[in-house]
Amino acid sequence: MSETTPRADRLQSLLDVSMALATQLDLDSLLQVILDQARAVMEAERSTLYVYDAPRDVLVSRVSGGSAAGLIEVPLGKGIAGHVGASRELLNIPDAYADPRFNRDVDKREGFRTRSILTVPLLSHDARLMGVIQLLNKRSGAAFDAEDEVLVRAFASHAGVALERAKLVEDALEKQRIEEGLRLAHDIQMGMLPRHFPSSPVLEIDAALAPARSVGGDFYDVLERRTFSDQPPFGKQDGKIWFAIGDVSGKGIGAALFMAITRTMFRAAAGAGAPDPAAVLAQVNNELAKDNERSMFVTVFAGLYDPATGVLEYANGGHNPPYVLRASGALEVLPNAASPALGVMEDLPFSVARLELGPGDALLAYTDGVNEAQNTRGLLYGTDRFEAWLKTALVRPVPELVASLMAEIERFEEGAAPADDITVLAFRRLAS
Amino acid sequence: MEIREDRREQGLVVAVGGRIDSNTAGELEKALLAHAAEPRLVVDLGAVEYVSSAGLRVFLMLVKKSKAGGGKLALCALAPGVKQVFDLAGFTPLFTIEPDVAAALARIA
Repeated sequence: MSETTPRADRLQSLLDVSMALATQLDLDSLLQVILDQARAVMEAERSTLYVYDAPRDVLVSRVSGGSAAGLIEVPLGKGIAGHVGASRELLNIPDAYADPRFNRDVDKREGFRTRSILTVPLLSHDARLMGVIQLLNKRSGAAFDAEDEVLVRAFASHAGVALERAKLVEDALEKQRIEEGLRLAHDIQMGMLPRHFPSSPVLEIDAALAPARSVGGDFYDVLERRTFSDQPPFGKQDGKIWFAIGDVSGKGIGAALFMAITRTMFRAAAGAGAPDPAAVLAQVNNELAKDNERSMFVTVFAGLYDPATGVLEYANGGHNPPYVLRASGALEVLPNAASPALGVMEDLPFSVARLELGPGDALLAYTDGVNEAQNTRGLLYGTDRFEAWLKTALVRPVPELVASLMAEIERFEEGAAPADDITVLAFRRLAS
Repeated sequence: MEIREDRREQGLVVAVGGRIDSNTAGELEKALLAHAAEPRLVVDLGAVEYVSSAGLRVFLMLVKKSKAGGGKLALCALAPGVKQVFDLAGFTPLFTIEPDVAAALARIA
């Protein structure tokens, strides 16, 4: 019968390993398999696996076999593992203490004596660095030899591709988790927006928000003002209406959170009896500006409207000035009460302005998702097109005006996914 | 986007060019905030074509950090479209803005 050589044994274990690697998709289990098998196949006392973190350009020891050492981070190019990662060449060091790249501190800390070190890069199928595996001290006491080098290269080529595949799976799962989170955030965000508006014989009001594909930071709000007194019934509506429209800088979860906070603070400030829109914006600004390291900001146009008299008081924190749609058919830009966008610094000044709407006059506020809408050819909707369309549509009843404007933008986009939230809020003073 | 630094006797001049949007704001943030502690800093925006709200945020961070550290900061050579972005957001009063590098350096001298 044929005699089993140690070499054949080791080739057999290599075959076992490649099968084990091929069936392992979970990254953490795979790292453990690579680590354990490397030590077994290479007959080493210890093995350490470093995973390459490309964005940070460091090697991170995910598992450290037989050692109590925690997570070690090695910049590419530093030390032996870093050197192998940078050069992508196998490195066989027969006597560690004679090599200047060897760091003796770990040995000292752990009471271990490193003799020989075999280090090999783990590469993806297209030769990108995935990690580094390091084997310490062959159990026989000899240094690692040429046969070990051949074997570890074969091992590393399997392990590298397995690692690549597991990382792809992990990234895809992570992406899926993020997308689910964003969808949830979006649903919550949309659920916060009021869909029912105050109605009165002298008031028409409506609003719409078309969300961008990613979670954005637009919002609108409409609420009936309550005044307070120390006599029963203490709080009562006085017929005036608070409203706001806003756009947070940036997109994603951060913008969505900032928007939710802004909207909550607007409700709180307006509900607590702030005297006018400038006072509301000043209060919201101060709250937002506390601990705002990232200098996120939100543009907000806020107003207090009295449907009975048509008097509008408003303040504009860095937002596009709304349009006044006159009953005569004239289109005007609302004279700007320019104040800064909210959230940047505390104690900024906000000014208030007044406008009286005549019977049939309307106000239309919007976010820049409207005029900056782009079609599939990259063409911008633009202010000129927007104003030309408004002139043809401004006499329509408010709900129809809002709906037809949203449809107009969608038509212009020709199916291009909106890059930004598109929000419109409008109201008209009806003749009594 | 391009970023060029020019150390002069009167202060550091950082010239920025191209589009400053959510794709490039991170790079600009790194480059500019590294100089937030400069006692005299001029940011030359002469070659900037466009600034988005993500870009504005970088300048806001810079002016806050610079002020906190007691430094002097001036922006200069804003194209009308870029100036309009600062105006619309109501941020113009928060900055020292001059027509060119020489005027900016003189202003913070």
